[in-house]
Amino acid sequence: MFLKVQLPWNVVIPAENLDAKGLMLQKAIVIRLMDEFATKKATKDLGYFLAVTTLDKVGEGKVRQNTGDVMFPVVFSGITFKLYRGEILEGVVHKVLKHGVLLRCGPVENIYLSSLKMPDYQHMPGENPLFLNDKSSKIEKDVVVRFIVIGTKWLEADREFQALVSLDGDYLGPIA
Amino acid sequence: MSGEEEENAAELKIGDEFLKAKCLMNCEVSLILEHKYEQLRQTSEDPMNQVSQVFEKSLQYVKRFSRYKNPDAVRQVREILSRYQLAEFELCVLGNLCPETVEEAIAMVPSIKTKGRAHDDEAIEKMLNDLSLIKRFE
Repeated sequence: MFLKVQLPWNVVIPAENLDAKGLMLQKAIVIRLMDEFATKKATKDLGYFLAVTTLDKVGEGKVRQNTGDVMFPVVFSGITFKLYRGEILEGVVHKVLKHGVLLRCGPVENIYLSSLKMPDYQHMPGENPLFLNDKSSKIEKDVVVRFIVIGTKWLEADREFQALVSLDGDYLGPIA
Repeated sequence: MSGEEEENAAELKIGDEFLKAKCLMNCEVSLILEHKYEQLRQTSEDPMNQVSQVFEKSLQYVKRFSRYKNPDAVRQVREILSRYQLAEFELCVLGNLCPETVEEAIAMVPSIKTKGRAHDDEAIEKMLNDLSLIKRFE
């Protein structure tokens, strides 16, 4: 699910980016926030950071003694993406493995649908491997699948989420 | 797996901070991200280089998985769904998946049928009809 969140943050602006005109400061803060998110990518609690939408409050800056940089406490609004257990989503298959498929959904690439969680589908090896059931419904690369999230895991080292998903439920499966 | 064993979106157990946070439908995210991207394009030669991978992947995803493209239609979808006493999370799942039947809607958002809530099949049917009308006139 995509979420609109409002967060407090501390932004450090290097001395050379400071300008007498307030507008430039706003811009410098937004750029700085976006840079930080690009490197941070995601956090365990908030999920993936997509974008800063508005800068809602800029507090009084404090000069850092050694460098002359200024730290501003700010409040901003932004968009994040997080997967919830029990949530139903649609994703795209990007890899077919022997024991299941990997899907992509929003910014998340590691969404695993195990063959155990789609018991009526059989793995068909070959140049383009795929999963097939007796109603000729196919799960192969680039197919859209509707699934339910059964578990998520935060990988601190990669700053990424992994999810396990299932087709066990009504109206779940590949979408024509 | 997930640390909080209690979390279950099907029963609307997703943590207080997220129940309060505003959820966004794919089509809404698409409008916001495309607008952001357009702003960048005007100020930079190579806008794709300016955005993070998370932004890029999300933009691709929401463009493909938006049921409504027209900004007016997107606004109407939220407005119509807001009349049905849904939680933010439920509203967005319905807006994203656009179920066609009452049975499908309940399968996608089981919490709308929990005890004490006023959604009978007729009300859900009406809601789905309203949604498909927007789609048809988009």
